[in-house]
Amino acid sequence: MIITAIPIKYILKRLTIFIGVFFGALTLNFVLPRLMPGDPAEVVYEDLLKDSGGTLNVTYLHQLESEYGISTTKPIWDQYFTYLNDLFHGNLGISISFYPTPVSKILEEALPWTLFLVISAVTISFFVGNRLGRYAGINRNTGKDLAIDLFSMFMAAFPAFVLAFIMLDVFSVYGKLFPIGGAYSSSVNMGFNIPFIISAMYHAVLPVGTIILTSLGGWVLGMRNNIIPNVNSDYINFSQNLGMKDYQIKSIAYRNALLPNLTGFSMSIGLSVSGVIIEESIFSYPGVGMYMITAIDNLDYPLLQGIFLMVIIAVLVGNLIVDILLGFLDPRIKQEGE
Amino acid sequence: MSKIQENRSIGNFRGEFVKNKLINSLKKLLKPFGLLLANNKSKAGFVLLMGMIIFSIVGVFYTPYAPDAYLFKKSLGPSSSHLLGTTGYGQDVFSQLLGGAAPTLMVGFSVGILGTLISVFVGVLSGFASKRVNELINGIVNIFLVIPGVLLIMLFGAYFLGLHQNLGYLSTVLILVITGWAFGARTFRSVTLSVAKRDYILSSILVGERKLSIIFRQIIKSIMPVIVSNFFFTAMYGTMGLTFVEYLGVGNLNQVNWGTMLYWAINNEAYLVGEWWWILPPAILISVLMFAFILLNFGMDEIANPALRVFQTKKHRVKA
Repeated sequence: MIITAIPIKYILKRLTIFIGVFFGALTLNFVLPRLMPGDPAEVVYEDLLKDSGGTLNVTYLHQLESEYGISTTKPIWDQYFTYLNDLFHGNLGISISFYPTPVSKILEEALPWTLFLVISAVTISFFVGNRLGRYAGINRNTGKDLAIDLFSMFMAAFPAFVLAFIMLDVFSVYGKLFPIGGAYSSSVNMGFNIPFIISAMYHAVLPVGTIILTSLGGWVLGMRNNIIPNVNSDYINFSQNLGMKDYQIKSIAYRNALLPNLTGFSMSIGLSVSGVIIEESIFSYPGVGMYMITAIDNLDYPLLQGIFLMVIIAVLVGNLIVDILLGFLDPRIKQEGE
Repeated sequence: MSKIQENRSIGNFRGEFVKNKLINSLKKLLKPFGLLLANNKSKAGFVLLMGMIIFSIVGVFYTPYAPDAYLFKKSLGPSSSHLLGTTGYGQDVFSQLLGGAAPTLMVGFSVGILGTLISVFVGVLSGFASKRVNELINGIVNIFLVIPGVLLIMLFGAYFLGLHQNLGYLSTVLILVITGWAFGARTFRSVTLSVAKRDYILSSILVGERKLSIIFRQIIKSIMPVIVSNFFFTAMYGTMGLTFVEYLGVGNLNQVNWGTMLYWAINNEAYLVGEWWWILPPAILISVLMFAFILLNFGMDEIANPALRVFQTKKHRVKA
């Protein structure tokens, strides 16, 4: 397909929405801890005070408060601008559970692994799911259709983390086919070399496979429901009468059914991120999900907030890219935007 | 005809009239259920869901033993006195399953109902609002659509933990509604926009019908299958969300429901030591419940979208 015109208006609109949602997320991240009843810093301080037998200094409370980013003395607008200023300088505070490592350093190590899992899971699931859905829709009301539908619905219904445990149990603990944890084996050097890439892919098979299995259903059912009206429509009848080959007709119907399904991408990214975060701790995968569980256990709010923010930004950027691609692919949007 | 007979026949007539009225109102009441039974997939889902509801109602009134009492030897296998064995803490697994059914279903249903109400309100409103309001609502919906729900649950849960509290059922439901209403709102917005453009709505406006009346009498009525379908989707999200909340350990783990059962089973590594009777039954029941919701959701989609319906008379499809 030749891209003739760039839908500038559409891209500008998407960018404005992106910036709006971006600031919305930043503000939500700022407001949430301040909305909560009570002061978490005080609670942690009192716990420590009890443990240490009352030998803690009060300055420690102020230090905790500043680390949590909560100040009782400054006005709220001042706090907000300090927060934004810190953010744009990449300063996300210092982690409490990995003291004194800065949060940005932890994220730098963890986020790429999570992104790797999410991107591979979403793309593979998209292609496999749409193909399966196409097959089911074209063979609608046959045994094959029913089998595919029921399988994908059942996988979507199974609790993802239980499936992860079962996979880990069957393939790693008893089957010894895949590693029990980690993102790459300790015998390879990290970097852009073939053994490392192979090892990383080998370690990702189980986590990615689990997420694909649980997220396949949405694509399959969506595609099936989109392609059925297309297959039954007049233009397909017309193409048949023109004497087009079966595979040509199928691919036309498929392409037309794919476009509405693409808009489900934003939802699917969010759901996959949720799945990945839950499953990383099960597969001991060194992504943000594992750090998040640690952060919850230790009430490490700077780390939690940093992860929250970074994941949302990553999801937003992913959505923006998909939306802009959609602008090039969908002729209706292109017409509107030119 | 004597007077008495006449009176009796009038009485009969009256009785029949009342009876017909009763039957009619009953039919009206059962009409939404008729909608559920119009399709094979939703029929299967309905039967499964009914089974679950009966199971949970039994669980409210009767469990073989107290679900949360540590009465027995630890980690017993299934036997006649303990149908599904005991947990690693010495609780009866079958009693926990029965007793934990009602709270699990309640969370799913409440999230479904509350989430759908909010999304219908927001969606229909934005379908009818001015362009600027519409865009604003769309932006807010997008924010909630993009944020992964688990992240918000974790953040909220961690703050509650910091205050030495955990998420009870009420706060769990609230968080799941906050993270789960946006899917529906987007659907209702686009459906309302397409319905509102149709000619009969325009003529109602021209005749002078009030907007509120149009919304309730025509729009809501015509998008009812979509609303019901969305209810099941949101209820499924609620059930899944409950298991996430409990799995992450931010919920109240002393409550007995299928989510906490999974949490304790997983935390004691029941899957590694071969205590399948502890981990598999709640996992399977949760998936059957979610499966019922998905079937109903999918079946209702087929009803809402006439193009997907199966017609016996005319089938032109591409050969596979």
